[in-house]
Amino acid sequence: MNVVLWIIFLPIILFVIGTFMLGYSRKFIARIERRYGPPIQQVFYDIFKLMNKKTNISHGWMHDFAILMLLGGTLLTMYFIPVPGFSYFAQYGDVLVIMYVLLIPALGMALGVGETANPNGSIGISRALMMLAGYDIPFFLTFIGMAMLNNTTSMLDLIHLQQAGGIATWGIITNPILGVAALIALQGMLGEKPFEVMVAPHEIATGPMTEMGGKYLGIMMIQHAIGVVIELTIYINLFLGGAVNWFEYIVKLFVLFTLLLSVNAVFGRFRTDDAVRFMWKIPLPLAIIGVLFIIF
Amino acid sequence: MSIVWILLNIALAGVVLNVLFSKSKIVQKYVSLLVFAGLTYFSFIMYSQVGEHFDFPLQIAGQSIGFTITWLNYYFGIMITGISLLTVIFSLKYMEGKDGSTNYYTVLTLKTFGMLGVIFSSDLITFFVFWEIMSWSTFALMSTGGKEAPKSAFKYFVFAITASMILMAGVVLSYSLFGSFDFTVIHGKIGTLSLSMTGFLLSIFIVSFSVESAVFPVHSWLPDGYSNTFTTFTAYLSGISTRIGIYGIILFLFGIFGMQTIDKLSIIGKINFRYIFGVFAALTMVVPTFTALYQHDAKKLIAWHSVGQGGYMLIGLASGSALGIAGGMFHVLNHMAYVVLIVFAIASVEHRTGTTNLNKLGGLIKKMPVSYLALLFGIIGLAGLPPMNGFVSKWFIYRALILGGYPFLAIAAVIGTLGTILSVYKLIHNMFLGQLPERYNNVKEVGFSMQLPMWILMIVVLGLGIFPGVAMGLIAKIQISLGLAAVPYSLHGIQTASGQLNMMVVGALFMGGLLVAWIIYLLGSRRKHISQYNNYAAGNFLDKNVAYNFNYEFYAAMEHVIDPYRKKIIQRTEQGIAGLTDAVSEYVRRIYTGMINTYGIYVITAFIVTIIILKELI
Repeated sequence: MNVVLWIIFLPIILFVIGTFMLGYSRKFIARIERRYGPPIQQVFYDIFKLMNKKTNISHGWMHDFAILMLLGGTLLTMYFIPVPGFSYFAQYGDVLVIMYVLLIPALGMALGVGETANPNGSIGISRALMMLAGYDIPFFLTFIGMAMLNNTTSMLDLIHLQQAGGIATWGIITNPILGVAALIALQGMLGEKPFEVMVAPHEIATGPMTEMGGKYLGIMMIQHAIGVVIELTIYINLFLGGAVNWFEYIVKLFVLFTLLLSVNAVFGRFRTDDAVRFMWKIPLPLAIIGVLFIIF
Repeated sequence: MSIVWILLNIALAGVVLNVLFSKSKIVQKYVSLLVFAGLTYFSFIMYSQVGEHFDFPLQIAGQSIGFTITWLNYYFGIMITGISLLTVIFSLKYMEGKDGSTNYYTVLTLKTFGMLGVIFSSDLITFFVFWEIMSWSTFALMSTGGKEAPKSAFKYFVFAITASMILMAGVVLSYSLFGSFDFTVIHGKIGTLSLSMTGFLLSIFIVSFSVESAVFPVHSWLPDGYSNTFTTFTAYLSGISTRIGIYGIILFLFGIFGMQTIDKLSIIGKINFRYIFGVFAALTMVVPTFTALYQHDAKKLIAWHSVGQGGYMLIGLASGSALGIAGGMFHVLNHMAYVVLIVFAIASVEHRTGTTNLNKLGGLIKKMPVSYLALLFGIIGLAGLPPMNGFVSKWFIYRALILGGYPFLAIAAVIGTLGTILSVYKLIHNMFLGQLPERYNNVKEVGFSMQLPMWILMIVVLGLGIFPGVAMGLIAKIQISLGLAAVPYSLHGIQTASGQLNMMVVGALFMGGLLVAWIIYLLGSRRKHISQYNNYAAGNFLDKNVAYNFNYEFYAAMEHVIDPYRKKIIQRTEQGIAGLTDAVSEYVRRIYTGMINTYGIYVITAFIVTIIILKELI
């Protein structure tokens, strides 16, 4: 019964946290730029407005299905990630599964955007995939390092090992090099500046979102809210010792997000090839050094 | 009567009938269909005879030669016949009205005959003879279709001849060492060899099979050879033909030499034979996968991937753990299913539009939804994303590499996967998504006989993804029969003390997620379909004369990043190898002076040397 309740309410809880975090990010950036910024619940209003639009434009069945794949894939990923109090599905799939189901929504969106037949969208997808090759290699290597160190690929085990020994056994303390490498990769994974090449509103008219409107854009925003929480949670679970209760979890989420947002606020945008090159020149060698430390 | 005998006779009868009726394409078609249906049926029911041995009514050097049925060759047998049958069904319509197709079914049957002979042989002589039949028919297969085909087939020919000579040397050396050709006899005596001799003999066999399975430095024959022939042959060749090399490697590594013998071959610490093999496998995964990014032809792109995916199978075998070896073997089956599916989809598009050039296609999803779905299933499998079959075998391999302590081989596997995702998206985007060119407005979906193999393979790709246990049962039997530890599998994945994988949960949650997303989707008001020209164009107006598409140089920025590495490392290495081969060939060429006197001297020298050696031996 407990599991059923969690299955129903987990997406809702994470969605609420995610929308507040996105609202917070808009407010945070605005304050840095000395603007007042929208209210923190603005993202709710946006989604509500978009879902109620009268005209919803579709370019074909893959465009429709892509939206389902986007949200469905994100919900799938969400259940495999242990959060405080709920880790029922985590036993059926390890971090490798999580890393790959995380790509399903991306693939879904890529296919749907392709069908909208807008070159801006295609360029956005092309950039997103190139960035994927950029950040995923260092991120995976840091995970491989952590898995080898603890001799397990299960996220649940990694969390338990970190929680058993207190702060001193957190991934970021035991392997700071890997932690930093993964943090930089995480910035790319979230698509924050300077790695915001995929959306790039001034260059390619928001890329994948160009032909999305109404409920399509609304569902994309719902997915984005949940997706941000998921990606941050992966990092928290691997390097920041997971969380014992929801208070600790939300604090960690906001602290980590604020850190990434502060970087986002002061940077411009890299050109795509520079972004990929940066990922392969800074976090990747860091991750390799970190793994070499673990081997020897 | 042994089923192997029936199987080979059916195949041979197929070859003969095809040659006899070479004038009538209709007869050829239905004879081949019947032959391959028979082959498929008999190979599937062969499990009842596993362990049986069949001797040829002929002896060589006083030894009986023949065939045997093991779980390993049963596994490969059903793959060969199954995929041949699907290829023939697909070809019925595809080959209609194509030039130069009189030999089509003949070479296909001959090739199948050769492959079946190779995998069921129980001794080196049979193995070698059928290996030659197989290589020659591969050459024949590659040289049909297209103007470029004979040229690229010749490239394969050079490689294959070299590999055959090396294999021949291995056969002769084994006979002189063990006094027998029989696999089981050799396996029994392998422990008596010195370490250096074991290493040498093993290297001979592995190098020879590496050519057939296109391992990194000797892969260059494959992409051209596979993409210049008929597209159905591309499917057949990349699906199963290359994997006979993998069969040879599995057989010799685990069946003949055995895990314990191989692990003795250590240089220092962890750097042993398997590790070096693994490094080559890693290069095979990474380099061809990123070369695929540059391709503008769908067939060539997939041909490069079939090189790259071979690396996963090899690296799984090289990991040496039960999970890794199972992953490697499972990946052979998975790769076969999805790569053939992908190439069939490409062939359908080629059938209707007449091109496989990725810069000229686009938007075909509206016209050919089934082919699109086939390609989609295939690329999700190829990219190794859940819930398709490619994910399961890749998961085995990653996990084996990570927990086996090979982080850099594991990251090579991940790099390969990411490169794959990039290039397969380019494939599906440039063919099926984006703007539909006006000239393809009248394109129709392919007929039923071409759709049927695609539907079957789609079911296999998804089915093996959700129920990997179906194949894992067979693989566990192979592992036990080879004296390896078996993976504790369940119907939906694996179940070990250190974690489990349950693909059913993944699939069910995905379905649930889709359902929730659908409900949210339905909450909004109804959608409205609009034309592709009713699109955001920054205030400009679009019509059929405006090319509004992004497919040329899809990953320009990535190419910009990779190019320096490619030029510095890969091309220089290749040039180095080419230069070395050139220099060696130049010296070899000088032996053939063309003067009768020199040849006379060679004959006399050879005679004297033979006598000296014989005296030593006697």
